[in-house]
Amino acid sequence: MTTIIVVLGIVVYFVLYKTYGKKLETEVVKADNSIETPAARMYDGVDYVPAKAPVLFGHHFASIAGAAPIIGPVLAMAWGWVPALLWVWFGNIFIGAVHDYLALMASVRYDGKSIQFVASDLITKRTGVLFYWLVFFLLILVIAAFGAVLGGMFVGTPEIPSAYIMKIIAALILGVLMYRVKMNFTLATVIGIILLALAIWLGSILPITASKNTWYVIMFFYIIIASAIPVNVLLQPRDYLNSWLLYFGLIIGAIAALFSFHGFTAPAFTSFAPIVSGGKATPYWPAIVLIIACGSLSGFHSLVGSGTTSKQLEKESDGLAIGYGAMLTEGFLSTLVVISVAGFGLNLMVDKGMDITTANWATTYTGAMMKSYPKAAMFTASYAQMVASTWLNFIPTKIVQIIAGMWVASFAMTTLDTTNRLGRYTFSEIMLPLKSNHEGAYNFLTNRWIASIIPALIGIYLAWSGNFTILWPSFGTANQLIASIALLTGSAWVAKRQKSTSKFALIPAYLLWITVTAAILWFSIVVLPGSIKANPVTGITVLVIEVIMLIMNFVFIIDFIKHKDEAVA
Amino acid sequence: MLTKLWTYLKDFISGMDYVHREKAAGITQWEEKELENIFILLLTGSFSGIPAPPAFVAAELLPLLSREIKIFNQRAENSFDTLAEMTGLLDID
Repeated sequence: MTTIIVVLGIVVYFVLYKTYGKKLETEVVKADNSIETPAARMYDGVDYVPAKAPVLFGHHFASIAGAAPIIGPVLAMAWGWVPALLWVWFGNIFIGAVHDYLALMASVRYDGKSIQFVASDLITKRTGVLFYWLVFFLLILVIAAFGAVLGGMFVGTPEIPSAYIMKIIAALILGVLMYRVKMNFTLATVIGIILLALAIWLGSILPITASKNTWYVIMFFYIIIASAIPVNVLLQPRDYLNSWLLYFGLIIGAIAALFSFHGFTAPAFTSFAPIVSGGKATPYWPAIVLIIACGSLSGFHSLVGSGTTSKQLEKESDGLAIGYGAMLTEGFLSTLVVISVAGFGLNLMVDKGMDITTANWATTYTGAMMKSYPKAAMFTASYAQMVASTWLNFIPTKIVQIIAGMWVASFAMTTLDTTNRLGRYTFSEIMLPLKSNHEGAYNFLTNRWIASIIPALIGIYLAWSGNFTILWPSFGTANQLIASIALLTGSAWVAKRQKSTSKFALIPAYLLWITVTAAILWFSIVVLPGSIKANPVTGITVLVIEVIMLIMNFVFIIDFIKHKDEAVA
Repeated sequence: MLTKLWTYLKDFISGMDYVHREKAAGITQWEEKELENIFILLLTGSFSGIPAPPAFVAAELLPLLSREIKIFNQRAENSFDTLAEMTGLLDID
């Protein structure tokens, strides 16, 4: 079954890329290679530089792929593997990839300006301001959700934090070799990869055991320091090592899924409303968008596509492979996650003494998973089992599990400190109105350290005190809300600027907006009251964020409807 | 057939290596760009009322700065639109 689904996934993605994707390219975007892209027209050798399609694809994919497409599908397995896969594939092909492609191409036709700028131009100026607020909330919730993921992983598999610490040391050494010693890049890379392997091996023999709260305190200081030190000291060499881990993990995973020939032990379908978020019955529609989140579509991608990728697109026809294709590749990663958990998750939980069967899966999966292999640990353990079931079984299972754990932990940790860098910036922008009348308060709040501490403190506090099955959907709401706004902006661009058939953009955009709005309402009315009872500060903080985002969401849709048919200059 | 496959594999690996290097260098480039902005501002800031270096230095450098002035203009136009660029550079997701 594992092999059949991998092959089916490849066929589905390939066929729809060639048909639906091409239709978008010719009828909606009307890609035209005779129009010079900003990379050529505005070439400056730094930001606007044309890049070959495979290189730009690699750049774009490395920027959009992270830990989130792994964690969402693990949780969504509560509905069974068919509903999980259906949303990954459907959301990916008809919404997520369309969103990424339109954001990229709208930006290309707007001289490489961001989707935030395009929204301000085509809808209203205040949409641009909404983006800052939404991104700021999203960043806080990212710190909370990813902090909770890391806390769970570090406690559940103590080999991962020690391997990670060794990896940081390896990254620091690599930084010195590359920038101080000025060693040949290839030689430094070889040394870096050897050090990475050594870190994984040392991690496996020297696990570090600490409580979850201890890890949260360490994480808090780590992200403050990591987001303040120069990028070439830690962030850059570490990210370089991460990208090797990503490719290694993806290649091994794809080979293992293709050759494992293993049946699925998880049920195909459990119930329309199994227990997922906050111990409540969670309806597939609308909640699936909050749970799978980036596994099928992500609002961050519109910013990545319109931020750096659009300034490097060599010709318009490359946009489909990069904008649409990279998102499908990320969906393939989520497919691998569903396959590994569906094939191996049940046995792993039973081996840990969980009372779970295919019959009681709907009510027990989330609880059993959180107790035995919480969050991403379920993926790393089943991934290791999947690799062990193939001819790759000469690699010790524990080592594979640590590699997969390092893969997820590295991306989650990178996300934490880079989120904090971005949080500092958005917070300063949000505080700008204070500058004219309260300059002292503005200067204090936007001080480098204060602006770093505020998002980190709120995020880590939420992770410390909150329930993961509440935090993850909260992160999902902010992320999917940005995606919905970006997709509506994309459809406004199609209708107003392209003057082409906008139904390919408008139908998924409205579908997403309605689904996300319904999901936020359901989450705030049904799930959050329980969370407020259990922990008032955390519950109310999340509720306040949700309510503000919901208001912004309605402000946006009113603006959108009002301005979508207005002619543009 | 085998030769074609080998060439494809070689291209893929070298492409992957190139992407890694580019990706790793991107963030340093961002910082370098900021320093460059300050440098350009120092040299051409008198246009916007910022004290410039002595006139004879500026006059001597000006002909060499046509490309920089064009880039500076482009950057000034984009200076309020950096959120997306930062998101693209810093891997978040």
